[in-house]
Amino acid sequence: MSLRLKLLLLGLLTLVLPWAGCRYAREMESALREGEQTSLESVAETLATSLEGRVDLLYRAPAGAESQDTAALLKAGPYDLKPLALTAAPLVDGYSEDWPRDPRAWAWYEKDPAHRFGVLSGVFERVLYLLLDVHDEHPVFDAPGASPLDARSTGDRIWLGFQDPEGTEREVFIAATGPGAVTARYIETGEYGQQLAELEPRIRGAWQLAPGGYRLELRVPLSMLGASFGVLVDDRDARGAIPVSYGSLHPDDLRTVGRLIVAAPELTTYLAQFSQPGLKLAVSTPAGQVLARVDALKRVAELAPAPPLIARLYRRFVDQPGTVPPIEAQVPIYDRGHAQVIGTLEVTQTPDRWLRLRDRALTRMLNFTLATSIVVVIAMFAFAAWLALRLSRLRQASESALTRTGLIASFPDTDSRDELGDVARSFSSLLGRLNEYTGYLRSLAGKLAHEIRTPLTIVRSSLENLEAEQVGASARTYLERARQGSERLNAILVAMGAATRVEEAIGGAERSRFNLVPLIESAVAAYRGAFPERRFTAELAAGPVMMDGAPDLIVQMLDKLIDNAVDFSPPGSTITVRLLVTPQAAVLEVENPGPPLPSEAPGRLFESLWQSRSEGDNRPHFGLGLYIVRLIAEFHGGLASAEDLPEGGGVRFSVRLPL
Amino acid sequence: MKRLIAIVEDEAAIRDNYAAAFAREGYAVRTYANRAQAMSAFAARLPDLAVIDISLEDEPEGGFELCRQLRALAPALPIIFLTARDSELDAVSGLRLGADDFLTKDLSLAHLSARVNALFRRVDALRKPEQAGDVLRRGPLTLDTERMQAQWDGKVVLLSLTEFWIVHALARHPGHVRNRQQLMDAANVVLDDNTITSHVKRIRRKFQGVDPHFDAVQTVYGMGYRWVE
Repeated sequence: MSLRLKLLLLGLLTLVLPWAGCRYAREMESALREGEQTSLESVAETLATSLEGRVDLLYRAPAGAESQDTAALLKAGPYDLKPLALTAAPLVDGYSEDWPRDPRAWAWYEKDPAHRFGVLSGVFERVLYLLLDVHDEHPVFDAPGASPLDARSTGDRIWLGFQDPEGTEREVFIAATGPGAVTARYIETGEYGQQLAELEPRIRGAWQLAPGGYRLELRVPLSMLGASFGVLVDDRDARGAIPVSYGSLHPDDLRTVGRLIVAAPELTTYLAQFSQPGLKLAVSTPAGQVLARVDALKRVAELAPAPPLIARLYRRFVDQPGTVPPIEAQVPIYDRGHAQVIGTLEVTQTPDRWLRLRDRALTRMLNFTLATSIVVVIAMFAFAAWLALRLSRLRQASESALTRTGLIASFPDTDSRDELGDVARSFSSLLGRLNEYTGYLRSLAGKLAHEIRTPLTIVRSSLENLEAEQVGASARTYLERARQGSERLNAILVAMGAATRVEEAIGGAERSRFNLVPLIESAVAAYRGAFPERRFTAELAAGPVMMDGAPDLIVQMLDKLIDNAVDFSPPGSTITVRLLVTPQAAVLEVENPGPPLPSEAPGRLFESLWQSRSEGDNRPHFGLGLYIVRLIAEFHGGLASAEDLPEGGGVRFSVRLPL
Repeated sequence: MKRLIAIVEDEAAIRDNYAAAFAREGYAVRTYANRAQAMSAFAARLPDLAVIDISLEDEPEGGFELCRQLRALAPALPIIFLTARDSELDAVSGLRLGADDFLTKDLSLAHLSARVNALFRRVDALRKPEQAGDVLRRGPLTLDTERMQAQWDGKVVLLSLTEFWIVHALARHPGHVRNRQQLMDAANVVLDDNTITSHVKRIRRKFQGVDPHFDAVQTVYGMGYRWVE
């Protein structure tokens, strides 16, 4: 794993920041929620306190009612009508589609299984709406055209009984001659004692037949109604028959027996003052019936602009799945004496408000931390790249600092005061010492050769003088051996000094611009003559290959490569000389069949005084050939390399010469 | 009268061996171990030929200094440097100081004697009146093998003995390629390839000294050199 990658990963650790931020945001969310809860509760408390003892608002009871009245007010009776607090006015058409579909909201009245009816009631603004669902095997309408008071033509009839605001008992009835709109009537005793059915135009409705009975929908202005209310059904199986009367009115005198538990319209108005987007206020009876409700929960979504895309994205990461529940506060409303709970105030707030707050904080924080992370990661990466660059420069320098010509002057980073600078400095001094030592080693052979040459000259000149003397035949044999020995010794000395001479010759070489192709062609032609027991093939680039350099040296280099190839290839084999051209460089290759390269020292092949030669070859040989190849290649800024050919096909030496 | 050869060499064994070899050849030999000895002797009597080692006792470059002083005394005296050193720089310095040849101690005594004889022949030939002796003419080149003298367009080109024989070997058969071994044989020296190359380079430069357009010595890459007319 590279240093760059490691530091990058380290930099990614800063992503802990946004993570911690998210954690913090969640904490903050619950704190916010708690705060909101508290404030909501105090709002609810205040509101409940303001509604304390307001039975007039809650139950339309006379203001300032005593506690015992209140207690009576709250005592639940089986015939009490508890209308829903509607959110919209239903269309009075005799159908139930626009009513809330809640079976528990229905109040059922039953005489026997064949005679039962349900009442669904609701209040919207200042009107009480009623939906009656009457089970009747034989719905009977009044005879058309007949007086509603004509007993013979009377069909099914619905009675509404109520106290008016003054406490006077009143009754109205609804009769229909067919499905459709109906208006209530009341019975008035005329001037002469006759009974008249007068229209009550404020109570209107619609009568529709329904499977198993009929349905009646009515609207009654609340202003007409007092504290009690009841419904009674006169079910007749035929016109003028004795009716089966049942419901929440006293069947004998149609007195009301149940109360109408409904808030004053002003309660809604009162609550509406406190309404704001995202808030729902509801007042209910201790039993749970909702008296009034101001609901602005949905309005918040309409008012608030859609959160920015990035905030929504963040929310997806931060929020646990599922919807956030709203905050609720429930407070009892007491009566004036604080003895009795007359209702419950319920305040609900959508989570949107604090979610928006949280989102804003979260967005800012995430933006900030993510930006920090990105900056840190980039900085880390840049730093790592810089470090890696310095390290690789150091590595390159340490690999290439020590050349044949000695230590290169500039070792990078030695001026830095950090640890890398220390490393560079110690490398530099190490390489300096190494350089001195290699220099010493390099000069050792030359010095040694020079020192040995003088005594060797003494030996050789003495031997030569001795040859001129008269010596015996047997002594001459020894003399000859001594001479051969000294010749060999001399050859060794020449070879040992050769490297120095080659370096000097290379240093003094003259550069010119010349074409490699004819040069190599003529050289190969010469090799054909010089080594008749080898075949030579030349695969040369077609066009002229111009390069700057010393042609003498290039040929000398090729000589050495060919010498080497001839040495290691069996007689009769073919040596291939190839010149390849790339835009940057010319590559000179010499291939020969033969044994593979020595595996023990592939890198030392081109070094001075290295040899790997089969046993039994006693010619003095010091592996200078390939060393000279390397020197000449380096003089031209090139590189010499060697490789085995596939499948034991021999070896290939190549020299890359930049053009 | 025997010719007098002075050997200036600090290594007694070598000095005496050379002295014995030259004496065997019939020369009179005087030997000196250092520059002071040699110079005082030369002031009294000049030798006919001097063989000088470069490093003399405590003077690493004493031979060069001696050469300069001797050359001041006798401009025509043949001087041979004989040294254990074989570096290119030494050879160039020695020859620039006016030495007639620069030989390493690897050379066998027989070769050394041949060199000495050749030098004496050159001296003798230069003393003799001009005569059409063994003269090789190749275009503007005139090689007088008697005097070991080379001329180009009538102008004398000062060649060392080794260089003279290399030019001779090339010019004798113009157009024929002489490889390095053949040149070494001709010059009676044992040199490695690079020394041959630098000799050839020096020969070209010397001829170019009298004729900037000289290019009669041509390199045949991979084979050797040839003389072109």
